[in-house]
Amino acid sequence: MPLTGSDELPDRSDVELRIPAQGVYVSVLRTTTAGLAARLDFTLDDIEDLRMAVGEAAAIVLESAADDADLRARFWLGDRTMTVTVDADTDGTVMVDEDSFAWQVLTTLATSAEFSTTDERLAITLVMQATPLEAAL
Amino acid sequence: MTDEPTRDELVTPSRSPAVEETRRRSAALFAVLGASDATMAERGDAREQLVHLHLPLVEHCARRFRNRGEPLEDLVQVGTIGLLKAVDRFDTGRGVEFSTYATPTIIGEIKRHFRDKGWAIRVPRRLQELRMQIGSVSATLTQTLGRSPTPRELAEEIGCTVEEIVEGLDSGNAYSTLSLDAGEESEDGPGSMLDAIGVDDDSLEHVEIRESIKPLLDALGDREKKILMLRFFRNMTQSQIAAEVGISQMHVSRLLSRTLDHLRTALETD
Repeated sequence: MPLTGSDELPDRSDVELRIPAQGVYVSVLRTTTAGLAARLDFTLDDIEDLRMAVGEAAAIVLESAADDADLRARFWLGDRTMTVTVDADTDGTVMVDEDSFAWQVLTTLATSAEFSTTDERLAITLVMQATPLEAAL
Repeated sequence: MTDEPTRDELVTPSRSPAVEETRRRSAALFAVLGASDATMAERGDAREQLVHLHLPLVEHCARRFRNRGEPLEDLVQVGTIGLLKAVDRFDTGRGVEFSTYATPTIIGEIKRHFRDKGWAIRVPRRLQELRMQIGSVSATLTQTLGRSPTPRELAEEIGCTVEEIVEGLDSGNAYSTLSLDAGEESEDGPGSMLDAIGVDDDSLEHVEIRESIKPLLDALGDREKKILMLRFFRNMTQSQIAAEVGISQMHVSRLLSRTLDHLRTALETD
């Protein structure tokens, strides 16, 4: 669902990464994400899920990114939780197809996922909560 | 060596002087290697020279596997191991050229390298080993914890840093099997995954036929239905059916074939 209202996220993210809006750089984003998640004590499964979800988010944003745009990823690191926003400038207003495969994958993998479209910018925000460490019953 | 022509010569009678020279030196060196009165030093020297002499053969073999994601130097290196094995195992009494004997050994060694190290990107051995350790330890931890472990837990278990685990995880993404159809290795050579994949059960088709034939059977007359039942479900012979229904065997035969024909046509036009 589209992002509504303002979140409690502080303006300043903990980590910010800017890469050219090209597919080849997405792996850098995925690796960075995994590295950060590992330091937040995410489980391996969580890390793989998050890595994949961020990859999908980047793929969706890239599809609509303007030719000379940069892809920006911002990370808010919490207590075994991570919020990632991936955004880029777009040509005109774009919509995210919520029935698309990529969006389905993303929403399945992440704890929650939202997108926001302003006139010239598409942003996808996803939250990933780490699996509780207590042994599953 | 005897003066008998070797198998090689029979196949390819003409040889360049260079090949001839290599052959001659090779034979001489193997003679030293096999001589009972040769000293350890002499043998070692001969072995060394033999390896050097045939390095071009290794390079030739390695070049056949270029552009498969492994550096040529690595392929030459593993190919050389094959060459060493070939030198040690070669029996001059067999009457074959050393190159004929060595080539499959060298290629086999290179192929094994690809099988064992099916890494799409060259990853340092340390990371490969770590990756394998992560794999086995996380399997164990997943069992005991009831969930997948965190890098911190893995690091504690393995005795390395979280950074190294993250590094190992990343390198894991560089690993890919050569092909989905590249199978498990076994004594009889690799079995293909396709061999392990099931095929459609033949009975499935029967289910379909049975389902579509149901309404057709219902539409049959009572006598035809009874004859079909007796023939195919009770396995009675036409004569037995004839006695049961009270008509001649000829009549049963005609009725059966007519009914079956009718069913077949109805199924096909369905």
